[in-house]
Amino acid sequence: MEEMVFEIKRTDENGNMKTQSYNVPKDKVSTVLEALLYIKENLDHSLSFRYSCRMEICGSCAMEINGKPHMACSTTTDSLKGQKVTVAPLKHFKVIRDLAVDIDGFLEKYRAVKPYVIRDDDGKYDSEILQTPEQFHEYLDYSLCIKCGICMAACPIEGSDPNYLGPAPLAAAWRYIADNRDQGKKYRLEIVSGEEGTSRCHFAGECTEACPKGVDPSFAIQKLRSSMVGLEFQRLFRRR
Amino acid sequence: MTEAEMKYNSRRRVTGSVSRMFQAASGLFLIFFVGVHLYVAHIDFGHPIQFFNQVIQNMHNPWWLAFFIVFVWVISYHAVNGLGGILKDLNMSQKAKGYLNYALVALYFVTVVYGTILAVLVARIAVPA
Amino acid sequence: MNEGPLGWAKFYRKGVGYFAFAMHRLSGLVIVFYLYLHLFVLSHLLSGAATYNSLVTSITYGPYDSFLVLDVLLALVIFYHGANGTRLALNEMGIGLKNHKVMFYFFESIAVVILGVFLYYAYMFIGAA
Repeated sequence: MEEMVFEIKRTDENGNMKTQSYNVPKDKVSTVLEALLYIKENLDHSLSFRYSCRMEICGSCAMEINGKPHMACSTTTDSLKGQKVTVAPLKHFKVIRDLAVDIDGFLEKYRAVKPYVIRDDDGKYDSEILQTPEQFHEYLDYSLCIKCGICMAACPIEGSDPNYLGPAPLAAAWRYIADNRDQGKKYRLEIVSGEEGTSRCHFAGECTEACPKGVDPSFAIQKLRSSMVGLEFQRLFRRR
Repeated sequence: MTEAEMKYNSRRRVTGSVSRMFQAASGLFLIFFVGVHLYVAHIDFGHPIQFFNQVIQNMHNPWWLAFFIVFVWVISYHAVNGLGGILKDLNMSQKAKGYLNYALVALYFVTVVYGTILAVLVARIAVPA
Repeated sequence: MNEGPLGWAKFYRKGVGYFAFAMHRLSGLVIVFYLYLHLFVLSHLLSGAATYNSLVTSITYGPYDSFLVLDVLLALVIFYHGANGTRLALNEMGIGLKNHKVMFYFFESIAVVILGVFLYYAYMFIGAA
């Protein structure tokens, strides 16, 4: 029977790292996540990784597969070249154990951009707020984000400075600013245009290349910049 | 304001997009400046080449003098701002970033003042016979 | 966990934007270094014609004319930085954001053509003396 070799970078509870290889029969599995489950069931019960939906919706099983960040559930074994697959935890995140990483910092950044509709009328409007299909499509792509953290692992700036807000939080900011129901642009200015915000993006575009859901964070960040310029000038010349 | 918002909120400096815009604008200006400079200095600089004399003669023209002084100001801004952009992507503390800002402003002024004085002094050298 | 600045250079098997980003940083640093080197060389103008001319002649016609190789590399770096910078500046203003990869190849091709023309004329210029 044809076998695939999975080389997995493992980290134990004391932080010691080692690489372990497992042979997985090719006809038993169709995705990397299934291969990991096969290993856990049949070869090594101690292997730790995070997953839930198995269909690219929950965003739990992001990991480095052959050196690039991918969702394990949607990466088919057929799409991988060669018989050897290297699997490592997602870059730029703290490893908890084996392939499971700590995403608290990422979610904290996500919260910082106020990812919800902000209204000046505090939600006390009388009639429905209408939205045309064009207005809906302005932000639709950005609302598809599943918070998997793959863009954060692909971003070169995130790799050298963990304080940078990162592609996903900034794309989320644009998702709400581009929404015609939202009026919170002025409240997001200080976070989005601050020292850790859009000015740190240098348009390498790797977040867009890596995103499994077709969100375009690098485009969103450029749009954020050009839409924030006016507000920033107003702040500069306003008397305090 | 939540704790997360506090951490990433920067009241002091909300000029991210404006500074990027300046960097882009100064960059577009520099395409023109560098283009003229490369043409003048490497293609059309007197035949046969007279290195020293040609430079001095050029700088005696007040328009060229002004051109080079503005050139120094703009390119120094672009260079220092770009350098700062790279250095700030390193994992630095807020305090270190504050010192870095002062250092960059100082570097900018030193470069600009030195470049301007040099240009003016060169323009005052008498044209050799 | 933290890759550090070395991660910027790992453009292998990544998108063309990553390559452009990595090279833009590197070329920017090279140009900043050259800017100060240039100011240093120009400062020799103040020491008089003999000093300046002997310095420039030595790096153009010998004994140190191998510097011309570095000059060609410098021209390459400047033209690359200018072409990619133009693309970034246009993107900054919201022009061609959806086609930024095509724009990269477009501007770089133009830069290579202009670089070729420039190097040819610059070479003729040196040879003419």
